[in-house]
Amino acid sequence: MGKAALIAWREIRWEIFGDRGAIIRTGFFALLPILFVLSGRGTGPGGPNEISMLVLALQSTLIPALSGVALIASTFTQEKENGTLVPLLASPVRDLDIVVGKLLGMVGPVMVICTGSLTVYYVLASALFGAARVREALPPQILFALLVVAFLYLITAGSWVLIIAAIVRTTRAGQQIAGLMIGISAAIFAVLGVGAARIADGWALVGLGVAFVIADVVALEVARRVWQRGEVIGRL
Amino acid sequence: MIDVRDLSRSFGRTVALDHVSFRVEPGEIVALLGPNGAGKTTASRIIAGILAPSEGDVLVDGISVRADPHSVRQRCGMVTDQPSLYERMTLRAYLGFFCHLYDVAAAAKRTEELAELLGLSDRLDVRLGAFSRGMKQKVAIARGLVHDPPVLLLDEPATALDPETARSLRSFIVSLRARHRAILLCTHDLDEAQRIADRVVVLYRGRVAREGLTGVLRADSHPRFVVSFSGDAAAARDALTRAGVKAEATTAENGYAALRFDADEPGTTNPAVLRALLDGGLRVITLVREERSLEDAYFAIVAEAREPETGKANG
Repeated sequence: MGKAALIAWREIRWEIFGDRGAIIRTGFFALLPILFVLSGRGTGPGGPNEISMLVLALQSTLIPALSGVALIASTFTQEKENGTLVPLLASPVRDLDIVVGKLLGMVGPVMVICTGSLTVYYVLASALFGAARVREALPPQILFALLVVAFLYLITAGSWVLIIAAIVRTTRAGQQIAGLMIGISAAIFAVLGVGAARIADGWALVGLGVAFVIADVVALEVARRVWQRGEVIGRL
Repeated sequence: MIDVRDLSRSFGRTVALDHVSFRVEPGEIVALLGPNGAGKTTASRIIAGILAPSEGDVLVDGISVRADPHSVRQRCGMVTDQPSLYERMTLRAYLGFFCHLYDVAAAAKRTEELAELLGLSDRLDVRLGAFSRGMKQKVAIARGLVHDPPVLLLDEPATALDPETARSLRSFIVSLRARHRAILLCTHDLDEAQRIADRVVVLYRGRVAREGLTGVLRADSHPRFVVSFSGDAAAARDALTRAGVKAEATTAENGYAALRFDADEPGTTNPAVLRALLDGGLRVITLVREERSLEDAYFAIVAEAREPETGKANG
């Protein structure tokens, strides 16, 4: 997995930190929690209730994750378009290292943004709605669960998006299909998440997590097979 | 060493390579020629271990590309027609990245060595996006050499290079041959192939149309000669016609009048030509064999390969 880590590090250091546009777009996500907190002020005396605070925390965590899926789609299709995938495939690196490396290279920074966004929301909400109320609505296990769910969502959706990226030829087509997928997956995720949170004091969320892990394994295996060198090169 | 054995590759119904076989020995440059779609790039990608063959096999340094493509990739250096670089990276970071992918020990030292070798030492910390096209191609070459591979696959490496850079690239490739590397050069540049290739493999529609030493391919099966002389060209041609030799007027490199003629049996025809001209009172200056360029040879080979199709279409 050393080479996967190397590929991931290159993505982070040069494609994310080397892209001013990406940094500016990332800055946008810092504004989201502020907007959520401000929107929650008018929900009643003392601010929003516990469920609303949980939903706003979920949004602060997951909206950056949704953008991460589009990022994963574009990183592969851009490599195909620019031809940079050929030298990578010509090097002694396993297919799985390439898929995992690129996935981690995108998932890592996006998870940092998700965590940052959730932290900003927590701090602002504590200041405005009262620290005790926020602590009660969002105990550490819920915060952790939110981040785990964001991570699993990213890996799952990202893996399936990789499969799409292997099939389409252009970055634009990849992003359009990824956008569609984000919309559909977000809707499914919201329904499942809200439903699971209400069952057995939220313990059903654990079952949802397990389902995501299974989906990850399947998606990664399909992505690896679809991304076999012969198929990729044949399409270049 | 590269040993291509009865190699075939199809993409759906399209047959890109059809039972192709050839070898490239260490210390040899083999030019893989052919029109667009002949299968050159597919062949080089299979040899590089990034595309699986449909049938047949390739041995690189004795390792089967079917059985162990990972080890084959470790032994091959590939340079493509497009530099295909990560343009946000600096040269130092880029070469360092590929050194690590190829498990090169002392990556920093190797990066500096390659930069110096290709005259890019002063650009090590510049982003690749700021490089000229020629410099980018040099970086692509450096990338193919990071692990000092025994086998080099060069796919149109001089594309878009200015003549001076292309020339230095040719010298560099020749220097690699001297270091006992097996080099496969896929190219459309017949002049480049003529200058540096020891042998030529001509592909046409996925098949080997001709394979042989560059010099042998250039030597026509119908040798042509040019005789230059001082005197009347029409009289000279009449003299040759009387001697049974059909000739056409041309101009010799030395500025004298000249006639070109085919001689399937030079031992008989050439003395007859000389005798006819001298008897006609003409002063013969030179009689030389006209060398066919690789370009002429290539077009003749491709035309020959195309003939069965033309015949079918006409039939």
